[in-house]
Amino acid sequence: MNPRRALSRLMSAIAETPAIGIAIACLLLIASLGLAYHNEGQARAEKLRDIGVQARVLAASLAGPLAFDDQAAIHEYIDALRASPEFNAVGAYDEDGKLVAGFSRTGEALPRRNRVAPPVVQDDEVIVTSPVVQNGTRLGSVYVGAATESWSRRAARYLGIAIVVVMACLLVAVLTAFYASVSAANRRLQAEIAGREEAEEALRQAQKMEAMGQLTGGVAHDFNNLLMVASSGMELLDRTTDPVRRERLKDGIRQAIERGAKLTQQLLTFARRSPLSPEVVEVGRRIRALQDLLERSLREDVKVEFEFGEGLWPIEVDPSQFDVAILNIAINARDAMPDGGCIRIAAHNYPAGGDVRRDMVRLSIRDDGGGIAPEMMDKVFEPFFTTKSVGTGTGLGLSQVYGFVRSSGGEVKIDSAVGRGTTVFLFFPRSSHAVPAADIAPEPVHHADHDATVLVAEDDEHVAELVTEMLRELGYKSKRGANAAEALRLLEETGPFDMVLSDMIMPGKMNGLELAQEVVRREPAMPVVLMTGYSNAAVTAAAEGFPLLLKPYTIEALGAVLDQALR
Amino acid sequence: MAPLARLATIALFAASGGGARAADLPLEYAVKASYLYKFAPFVQWPSTAFDSPTAPLTICIAGQDPFGGALAGAVRGQHVNGHPITVRRIETVRPGIGCQILYVGGDDVGPALQAVSHEPTLTVTDHNRSGTGGMIQFVMVSGRVRFSIDQAAAQSSGIAISSKLLGLAVSVNR
Repeated sequence: MNPRRALSRLMSAIAETPAIGIAIACLLLIASLGLAYHNEGQARAEKLRDIGVQARVLAASLAGPLAFDDQAAIHEYIDALRASPEFNAVGAYDEDGKLVAGFSRTGEALPRRNRVAPPVVQDDEVIVTSPVVQNGTRLGSVYVGAATESWSRRAARYLGIAIVVVMACLLVAVLTAFYASVSAANRRLQAEIAGREEAEEALRQAQKMEAMGQLTGGVAHDFNNLLMVASSGMELLDRTTDPVRRERLKDGIRQAIERGAKLTQQLLTFARRSPLSPEVVEVGRRIRALQDLLERSLREDVKVEFEFGEGLWPIEVDPSQFDVAILNIAINARDAMPDGGCIRIAAHNYPAGGDVRRDMVRLSIRDDGGGIAPEMMDKVFEPFFTTKSVGTGTGLGLSQVYGFVRSSGGEVKIDSAVGRGTTVFLFFPRSSHAVPAADIAPEPVHHADHDATVLVAEDDEHVAELVTEMLRELGYKSKRGANAAEALRLLEETGPFDMVLSDMIMPGKMNGLELAQEVVRREPAMPVVLMTGYSNAAVTAAAEGFPLLLKPYTIEALGAVLDQALR
Repeated sequence: MAPLARLATIALFAASGGGARAADLPLEYAVKASYLYKFAPFVQWPSTAFDSPTAPLTICIAGQDPFGGALAGAVRGQHVNGHPITVRRIETVRPGIGCQILYVGGDDVGPALQAVSHEPTLTVTDHNRSGTGGMIQFVMVSGRVRFSIDQAAAQSSGIAISSKLLGLAVSVNR
């Protein structure tokens, strides 16, 4: 295991057990006991010193009275000490050690004879003796017995401190226990946050799918119409010989197919599973590109109007999330207008100052529907909040909008009143990057005759036939291999070829991309163009740097890409 | 004047019957003998009074000697400030006899006191009616041995007497 990780796990394990706190509390307790013991010793030494001084003072005072046997003076001095409850017994002894005067409070008689000795501490009493000396001549001695503090009084004195110390220890223990539980809770919270993030990602996906679901109905319906146009157009083509009518029918079929192609393209982009990957986009252009999708996901009685300001600033957003957000708002607008109406989508630059701190692009989507009741306003962005009936809404639409706009650094505002319609404002911060050129101008299509031979690798018979036909139409010669191996064999045996055009997904050991790589390995100068209907495969091809045709494509698109590749 | 007026003694049988009177005197003088050397710790002699720090402190007895051998017995082994105490019997007091304490017994004390008046000698006498006495005079009050102190005389001889001793005196001549 990684040692740093092990260390951090150890640290968190320590933080989560209250053992350290308890150890600290115990140390604190032991330290205070030690301190109390030390203080006790010091207090005792001080007491001994104190009583010793008192005994010496008494001895000095008694020098004269003892020498000249002045009982009155002796009693006077001793009585002075009797006033203090500290002294249990005080005695004055003459030079022969015989008791002259004294008192005893304890009931125990004073010793009849005094012997000068070092201080003695017994039970609750300190006994100090001191000689009475004048100028080196010993004239007698004194005996002083003083009460030391009793255990109960000492305990009472220490009780206050003991309570404080015990409380402090408890506090430390409780705090550490609390800290441990907070640490554990924090770890659980971190885990939960991670889980939440995963769930949010899943939610985003679900929101996309929700929008997809909304779309599918319209799209399927639309597709049926397109197929209807195409199939009936074909049938009619067979039955008529009038060139004008045939031309009109062909136009109709072509348009239907183009619309279908566009739709599937958008759906594929839409369905792409991808994390948020911001790109610089121009709002107006992006929304115009959505027009078909929008019209299909709305009803015939709902009109969409656009109004885009001049020189819109670019913004940086995830394009597919942006599309989903616009669709979600539009679908809400549609549902707010059961009797039909108009959705106005407008975008304007919104310079810094006033209520925004930096340059923004304001996108507004306005409907003239029923509006939102004031008490609902707070809830519309909550996930799973919906006013729609069961089965028609999931309540994920506006929450996706909110989540997406916030994560793009923008803001959402809703202006609505019952009966006066709803306007959703999306504010996106202005991007300092320019919109990439590819997003702006489509390649111009060149029609030209070529004397070039194209090797086509395509497994689908019908597609291959059509592609061959289109190539012939564009003035190319072509040969077809049904898989990568066959294409390579043709390249070896029947060349030379000027270009290879390969499908990406093909049966066999080698797919189109690998074929392209192999061709380039063998003949580095050979241009290779890949074609595919899968957006995932398209991303891979783009990453490898091969030009790409997205199926279905028009003959113009084919011509343009081949022309570009041959240059 | 210190209030410690009543100088206690080892019980004197002053109030006892006549039969006890014979024993009174020796007891009184035993007390006096003990006082005589106990004055020493409370007295400060000038440094010229001793030949060396360990030179003996001499108590001289002149005139009538009431103590007999009692004094010599009492001082045996006693020291004051490193000076062993010795007792000397003196027949005639002359200047320069080298006594730190001089007890002059009897009533005719004048010549002896005069002889040492310029020397650092603590003079002790019994009280007498002539009015002449030593620096310390024993007096009997209520049958107990007490003393009065002539501090001025002591000071003129260079002798300092501790306030502890002054406090015990019946009277002090300052």
